[in-house]
Amino acid sequence: MNAAQQFRRAAAKKAADPRHRAVLEKNIATYDDAVARGRTRYAGWENARSTAAQIKWKAINHLDSYLEQFERAVVENGGHVFWAETAEDARRYIVELAQQRGVQKVVKSKSMVTEEIHLNAAFAAAGIEPVETDLGEFICQLRGESPYHILTPIMHLTKTDVAILFHERFGTPLTATAGELAGVAREQLRKVFLSADMGVTGANFLVADTGMVALSTNEGNGRLSVSLPRIHVVVAGIEKVIPHFEDLAVLWPVLAQVGTGQGVTAYNTLVGAPRRDGEPDSPTEFHVVLLDNGRTRLLADVEQRDALHCIRCGACLNACPVYKNIGGHAYGTTYQGPIGSVITPHLRDACEWSHLSYASSLCGACTGVCPVRIDVHRHLLHNRRNAVRRKFDNPLQRLAFKAWCWVMQDATRYRITGKLARLAIRFGLAAPLAKAWMQGRELPEVPEQSFRELWAGMDDNSRTRS
Amino acid sequence: MIPARENILSRVRTALRTEAPRPTMPTTAPIWLPVGDVEARFRAEFTAVRGNLLDSSQQLREFMKAFPKIAIDGSTLVRQVAGDGTATAREADIGVTGCDCLVAQTGSIIVSMHASGERALSVLPPVHLVIARCDQIVPDLAAAFTLLRQRYNGHWPSSLCLITGPSRTSDIEKTLVIGAHGPKQLAVYFAG
Repeated sequence: MNAAQQFRRAAAKKAADPRHRAVLEKNIATYDDAVARGRTRYAGWENARSTAAQIKWKAINHLDSYLEQFERAVVENGGHVFWAETAEDARRYIVELAQQRGVQKVVKSKSMVTEEIHLNAAFAAAGIEPVETDLGEFICQLRGESPYHILTPIMHLTKTDVAILFHERFGTPLTATAGELAGVAREQLRKVFLSADMGVTGANFLVADTGMVALSTNEGNGRLSVSLPRIHVVVAGIEKVIPHFEDLAVLWPVLAQVGTGQGVTAYNTLVGAPRRDGEPDSPTEFHVVLLDNGRTRLLADVEQRDALHCIRCGACLNACPVYKNIGGHAYGTTYQGPIGSVITPHLRDACEWSHLSYASSLCGACTGVCPVRIDVHRHLLHNRRNAVRRKFDNPLQRLAFKAWCWVMQDATRYRITGKLARLAIRFGLAAPLAKAWMQGRELPEVPEQSFRELWAGMDDNSRTRS
Repeated sequence: MIPARENILSRVRTALRTEAPRPTMPTTAPIWLPVGDVEARFRAEFTAVRGNLLDSSQQLREFMKAFPKIAIDGSTLVRQVAGDGTATAREADIGVTGCDCLVAQTGSIIVSMHASGERALSVLPPVHLVIARCDQIVPDLAAAFTLLRQRYNGHWPSSLCLITGPSRTSDIEKTLVIGAHGPKQLAVYFAG
């Protein structure tokens, strides 16, 4: 089964699962409330979006100089920068570093880019134990699942699901509250934090002019990951760079507002160097892995370059009617939802992943909520056009559209085809063609006469009657 | 290693020969509602994010009683107010630190090695107490960044953190739980 077939099967299954829909609806409704409350802090939200978009535009359209500036600052501060062209290069660098330094245990702070490069599997293959420390990611790891949402990894689970899992793993009572479950995770992971040799984090932003990595977490796992182990490794896509330290005065609150509705995330940490003289703790080594892995391909597409502005806030997933129905796992990608459907064909294989661009009603809700003004739904349309141009589409579909064009270009052809179609539907001949559509739906009743026929049969009086 | 760097940068430069259209320019209109009185705003915001304000030296003494093992950052102000430390960050019941500044707009506290001691001190103990002065409150994040730039430009601390409330998680059914991996309690005491 190819990716498109898998997607169709998984999406159909989830869309028809009322329990799944109820869990997502409850979660997203809570999110929507928090975002609406948070918005009252703003006098000019649209202006905040424009400011954030402008910062990212500047960074992405001068990416080479900001990356070099960032690298220079990190190296001056005593850190290391590794440039990785592919996921394989990044994995190899990090795992070899861990092996050379005798690392046995790694604590990880929530990071989608390490999911993208499948770092945990690489660690495990080398006999190194990676432990996810964000509560949601920790639960995903225990379940052997990938995150369901780029910001809310266990959006699909209820408290009961987590209580059952913790009961089986840690003997927690099945009646445990969310607070008690979080307490169990704290206790379990505290030991791991204190014994880990390496902390691996992602980056929300890379600050070019100070050489700092910005990391936002609510749980404090990010801070512990950059404080206790002796080595800190940051993995970041090259598009994460921003020009100035001061840009964070807008980007931090904006990210929190669309991510969770908070004024700012509980911990916005900046790390720019390994341990300095006189510092009693902190890692003695600080490595930043700058990952391309297809990003320069997207950069070269001027039309869709703004997709690299994405700050991975998850807002377009929460707004998307398709995501709300099929959930995160159906996509089969690291980055789900509308933005994932835009960038995955660029980051991975365009032919294999272009089907995702059709998983959208093009309603534009994603574009409407994007804090950095990415034209998300238009890019889905661009992807569809590109797929047709590159002949990735289905030949039957191509034929169908050719026929449709031919019919639509002539009044007589249109009339005859309309008549035939009505007859076909009435006598059940259309059903085999619409098989997939009719699973869970019924075709509408077809009227005896078309609009044209009705119109022709009316007198002037009836025609003008409102 | 070097070829990867050159390859990536050269692909970036080739791609950027054409500039992408600029998005809507921001206006000069304010993004946020006015901050108002900085001290009152800080108190309101800090309380809203579940921070614990200690209003008198009496309250501070009562609060501290519950925590026999104290780790401090060693600064004069902290020592004057909280006394000498009795434990390391790893063993402590409470970490007591100073801060770089406090932000009224968001009810936040900014800590760094210079102002608040080592990284673990303000995140590893179950409780974090910040000793500050009212004149350390700045109106908003932009003012905080200006202050930090003036103070540290050219010799930045290895790490800085904007702390807004005690640690928390909403991963399970979006239910807010205070106390995740970081401190379960965050308190501020203004010593003048």
